[in-house]
Amino acid sequence: MNGRVRKGDHLSKAPLCRLTPKGALLSNSYEQTSDLELARQARAEDESAFAEIVRRYSPRVFHVAHRFFRDRGQAEEAAQETFLKAFAQLKSFAGRGSMEGWLTRIATNTCLNMLRSASRRPELITPDLTEDETDWLEKVSDSSERLDAEQQVIAADLAERLLETLPAEDRLALMMIDGEGASVNEVAAATGWSESKVKVRAFRARKKAREALEKLIGKKYRA
Amino acid sequence: MPEGHITEILDNTPFIALTQSELSAIREHTSSCSECANAFQAAQISSVLLKERISEAATSAANANPFFQTRVLAAWREQQEQASAWSFRRLWNTTGAIVASMAATTAALAALTFVVPVTDTNNQQTAANQQAAALLPYSAETVVLEQDQGDNQLTNDQVINAIYVDDDEGR
Repeated sequence: MNGRVRKGDHLSKAPLCRLTPKGALLSNSYEQTSDLELARQARAEDESAFAEIVRRYSPRVFHVAHRFFRDRGQAEEAAQETFLKAFAQLKSFAGRGSMEGWLTRIATNTCLNMLRSASRRPELITPDLTEDETDWLEKVSDSSERLDAEQQVIAADLAERLLETLPAEDRLALMMIDGEGASVNEVAAATGWSESKVKVRAFRARKKAREALEKLIGKKYRA
Repeated sequence: MPEGHITEILDNTPFIALTQSELSAIREHTSSCSECANAFQAAQISSVLLKERISEAATSAANANPFFQTRVLAAWREQQEQASAWSFRRLWNTTGAIVASMAATTAALAALTFVVPVTDTNNQQTAANQQAAALLPYSAETVVLEQDQGDNQLTNDQVINAIYVDDDEGR
């Protein structure tokens, strides 16, 4: 070899890169970068570092967003808002805790705020139930069989309608503790609430959900 | 285990976290209390509903929009542009008065430096011409061409002066 650089050499030796819609290069070399370093670079308005944070933690943020919102559009909006808020608050991330925990907290509070601003808490009453939902309630009350795909969708619909009757905070506590099996500590860490507040919220939500369903079942049996 | 109704247990503990001893006590109580049987069934249904809702949320989260990252970055860029425009406006609001007064001063200085001297030079030139004309009242041509009218060139003052000078010398 004569040591001269041939046309195209730089392409084969360059790290794997991809282009953003604006044409900026996003280098995959960021995959090995620590969260703290990414935060530092993103703070200096390095778009690639911020993109890597979004790529790395999108699944987690989406998980939190879908806990609150069934609608895909709303969940995406909440997730986007979370990342933009996170960028604005990057100074507060000192690396003492994990970035995942830090983002989870921002996502949770963002979703809570969005849900609060909607502030729609209709009461769940029997005439509002669809025929499918009434049938589902009868079946699930009478048997403990596994639900098929169609029944799962009906159950998720009914669950959403039940959760809509609860305040945003109560809903979150119920979803995390009773739905996901999270501990009181975990909910406290994700929300920044005290443990006693978490317990009170969960108790209230559980009671309200139980009473709402009790009414539905009672009316069903009376009818 | 309280002697009364079991609703307190149901509200204090997640349904999935009820222990075997709690469940057997609940079953024992609900066999003789229809109200609590209804409450127990409601708690059970609530648990099933939540489980299905969580399961659906997990599936939706796994099938996230592949263009989400692009969307977030576009929003981020837009926010950055707005922030920089806003910071320029804030800077202008703070220093605008000073900058405007500095610009006015510069304009005034420029006017004084370039416009006024030109006018001055014109005025100076006119004055110099007039002075020269005063020193040389007759051009060579005038002298040559108007030789015959030599007497007429004397002013009245000169004539009077000439007469009175003669008179003074006579005394």
